[in-house]
Amino acid sequence: MKIPIRSLFTGKRAFIWVIIAGLIVGIAFMFAGNKAVKYTSTDEYCISCHVHPVADQSWKLSSHHDNKAGIIVHCAECHLPPAGHGMLFAKAKHGIIDIYGFYFKDSAQYNWPAKRKLELAKNFVYVESCVKCHQNLFPKTLTTEGENAHLNFMTSKAEVSCLNCHLDVGHYDPKNKHEHNLNFGATVAPNTQVYTEPTPVTTFANFTEKIPGTSASFDMIAIPGGEFRMGSPKNEPLRKRDEGPLHPVKVSRFFMAKIEVSWDEYLEFFKATSSQGRKEAEENENVDAISGPTPPWGAPDQGWGKGTRPAITMSWKAANVYCQWLSKVTGKKYRLPTEAEWEYAARGGTRTPYFFEGNPKKFTSEGFFRKIIGPDTATIQSNVVYKVNSLMQTKEPAAVKENPFGLKNMLGNVYEFCSDYYSPKAYSQFKKLVVDPRGPKRGQEHVIRGGSFKSDAKDVRCAARDFTKTKAWLVTDPQMPKSVWWYSDCSDIGFRVVCEVDENIK
Amino acid sequence: MEKNNSGINRRRFLESTALAGIGLLGASAIISGCKNEKDAKALGLPPILKGAPKGKKLRAGLVGAGNRGAGAAMNFISSGPDLHIVALADVFQDRIDECRDRFAKLKRDIPVENCFTGFDAYKKLMALPDVDVVILATPPQFRPEHFKEAVMKNKHVFMEKPVAVDPVGIRSIIASSKKAAAIGLNVVTGTQRRHQEDYIETYKQVANGAIGKPVSARAFWNQNHVWFRNREEGWDDMTYMVRNWNNFCWLCGDHILDTHVHNIDIINWFIGRQPESAIGYGGRARRLTGDQYDFFSIDFDYGNGVFSHSMCRQIDNCANGTGEFIMGTEGYTNCVNTIWNMDGSIKWKFEYPKDENGNETSMPKISPYIQEHMHLVHAIRTGEYVNYGEITANSTLTAIMARTAAYTGRKVTWEEIFKSDMDLGPKEIAFGPVDMQFEVPIPGTAHKA
Repeated sequence: MKIPIRSLFTGKRAFIWVIIAGLIVGIAFMFAGNKAVKYTSTDEYCISCHVHPVADQSWKLSSHHDNKAGIIVHCAECHLPPAGHGMLFAKAKHGIIDIYGFYFKDSAQYNWPAKRKLELAKNFVYVESCVKCHQNLFPKTLTTEGENAHLNFMTSKAEVSCLNCHLDVGHYDPKNKHEHNLNFGATVAPNTQVYTEPTPVTTFANFTEKIPGTSASFDMIAIPGGEFRMGSPKNEPLRKRDEGPLHPVKVSRFFMAKIEVSWDEYLEFFKATSSQGRKEAEENENVDAISGPTPPWGAPDQGWGKGTRPAITMSWKAANVYCQWLSKVTGKKYRLPTEAEWEYAARGGTRTPYFFEGNPKKFTSEGFFRKIIGPDTATIQSNVVYKVNSLMQTKEPAAVKENPFGLKNMLGNVYEFCSDYYSPKAYSQFKKLVVDPRGPKRGQEHVIRGGSFKSDAKDVRCAARDFTKTKAWLVTDPQMPKSVWWYSDCSDIGFRVVCEVDENIK
Repeated sequence: MEKNNSGINRRRFLESTALAGIGLLGASAIISGCKNEKDAKALGLPPILKGAPKGKKLRAGLVGAGNRGAGAAMNFISSGPDLHIVALADVFQDRIDECRDRFAKLKRDIPVENCFTGFDAYKKLMALPDVDVVILATPPQFRPEHFKEAVMKNKHVFMEKPVAVDPVGIRSIIASSKKAAAIGLNVVTGTQRRHQEDYIETYKQVANGAIGKPVSARAFWNQNHVWFRNREEGWDDMTYMVRNWNNFCWLCGDHILDTHVHNIDIINWFIGRQPESAIGYGGRARRLTGDQYDFFSIDFDYGNGVFSHSMCRQIDNCANGTGEFIMGTEGYTNCVNTIWNMDGSIKWKFEYPKDENGNETSMPKISPYIQEHMHLVHAIRTGEYVNYGEITANSTLTAIMARTAAYTGRKVTWEEIFKSDMDLGPKEIAFGPVDMQFEVPIPGTAHKA
């Protein structure tokens, strides 16, 4: 019996053909898809776009390429989760971002160093991938520090990533070693002049303090006493509730450092007081012998350089001990500013959101319209180091203008410690004019002010408040217990000193 | 990394064995009439053995050849066939000599060239390639270092409780346990109640719901004073302290660790977790040497409203006794052999073997001190892995948390003590003068006059 060819494609048979065709397409698609996934996960494919030479070269120098075992770990083995852990989803996500970047952005404009810092690196390295290969967290060769760190990794309630400690293992970075930095601060170049006496202060005027026994000096600005309105009015754009209620405050006169405490200054303190072990530091807590920080882990300056850049990552306690030390060597009364002193100084007599003209709504980069139109940043850029102009690191004071009192970087660059404990309701107790308030009597965390190089424009307003986050800032520290001197996970905190005015000065 | 074939195979193997296991479980459930009882293996209980199985010759080295050390070594060789003590290490020569004599009387000679003295004797012993097992029975101050070295040298380990005297030591023990697990070294500890048949059978009952959910507990170890030694002429500081180690906190950890840790370990085991915090007190009334307390009373908070009262005392002619007790929602138990209903009637009782006159005895047939060594040898010879290192470290740390609470008067949390940098030992351990303060701890602050 002859079956007409046409009948193969009609009636019930047509249905079969559709299924067969579907199967073939499906299988082809599956194979092609599988191949495509494989092909687009090869090193060559990755490197074809990721043209920044550092990535390729630093990978080859890293322990995931250059090792005794002769094993090479390929791009996608760290930068994608393993199959079964959302691999295809992650691949699609990164792929779309990469394609967008390739066609619409200039890779030379990327801030590659910032991408290698823990915060951003976590977004494209997967812990699941680390532990897929590194199944034994307790090899025989593990050191005591490693044991403590891995026990912490396994028992910590906070989220700890492998990267917290092993940031440089995939891409070699000599500046980013995770180890006790015993040489920290030791290589500061000796300057010619060493001051023998502090600067005498006889009048209430700006002066340059000289730290005896060192070649470090810094400018102090005389801030006249006065009254101001502390906090932000309810109609200030992008304010937060803890900035209110707006209330009148009277502040007595004081001196305030023109710039945030620099590495040049802080390292003198470190050299003069640092102790090798925590035990010694705690036992010697008398005034005559001030014990300072233990050696830090890694590089507290984040590899950005020291000099006049603000010293960063020290704990509130360390900043406080710095003031005690400075008081002792200069014979003056240095301390951290109160929150009221800080805001009074930051405003410099202004009542506006910033000490210069401008609307936070126009400056902010957040919100739907800003993403499309882009913020108007003309005035703020020259006054504040913040997210838009910082390249995600600290800047030297020369980068910005002074405020009306002559202070620099009150807003932006780094957050600054205040002596007050933080409470979101700190202002609500004040009904009438209050003189030199000192914040809540008790508390857990301290006030930090001014925003930082990581902040959006809305968070560098004069009234914007924030606070220390001790636990989160110590996640990476592998020591047990953790350091009381250095925060391992906060790179945008620093401080500024104030000096009390002697009663006899007119 | 290149594809790890052994990893895949291992996973497949695990999957298939898991499936087979589920199949077996299902089958056994049907055979046993669908009873939902967990058996010994599912509960992680050790096998109750009549003796360790035959197998390759095992040579053990004893580190710490005092009374307990020699006793543990005897227990080891009597736990099965072809087990030998081949090396000794101790800080004192006289201890070595006594121990060698004890073994010589059993016609078990220990070669002189394998006997080492001094604080580094353990290193020399563990360097012997023929030693398969080490028995660690020195004062607990030294345990973390000895255990670490044993794992580095690939030895199976039996170690006495407590396993350390401070949190730094505890973390070292936990890490070394994990290292041992990674390379298949078996570890058994001297918390012998966990190898005592009556405790094990009682635990099975409790784990299968005989007393409902535990709601409270108590544990106690009250006894007469324990040995102490007065300083003899010619002894330097270190010699005196190590000779009298049971009375110095940095060597012994105080008696809440040394003995009461047994009871604390039972409560942790039966409740299924360690406490979240401790508050307590203690003091020193009768002790003559050293710097330790002679009584403690501690309230452990296990969370979810479960508390355990712990007490221990070493004073003569007081109400003495040791044991444990757990109150549940549906009954209570002494943890060792009996379960009562809420109305006081006996629900279940462990049947002890009978003596030649047909009277019930009060101990299981095989001493738990030997049972634990049988378990170790069984694990080495059959490949059924065992590791009690971390469990005993956690129970020891529970006792350290309690001791710290009593010494300071403060509430001490698990998280705090786990991460503490408390390290009681001197910087250097050597014979000669020791520059340390030995004040008896006093909690709180002085009253203001």
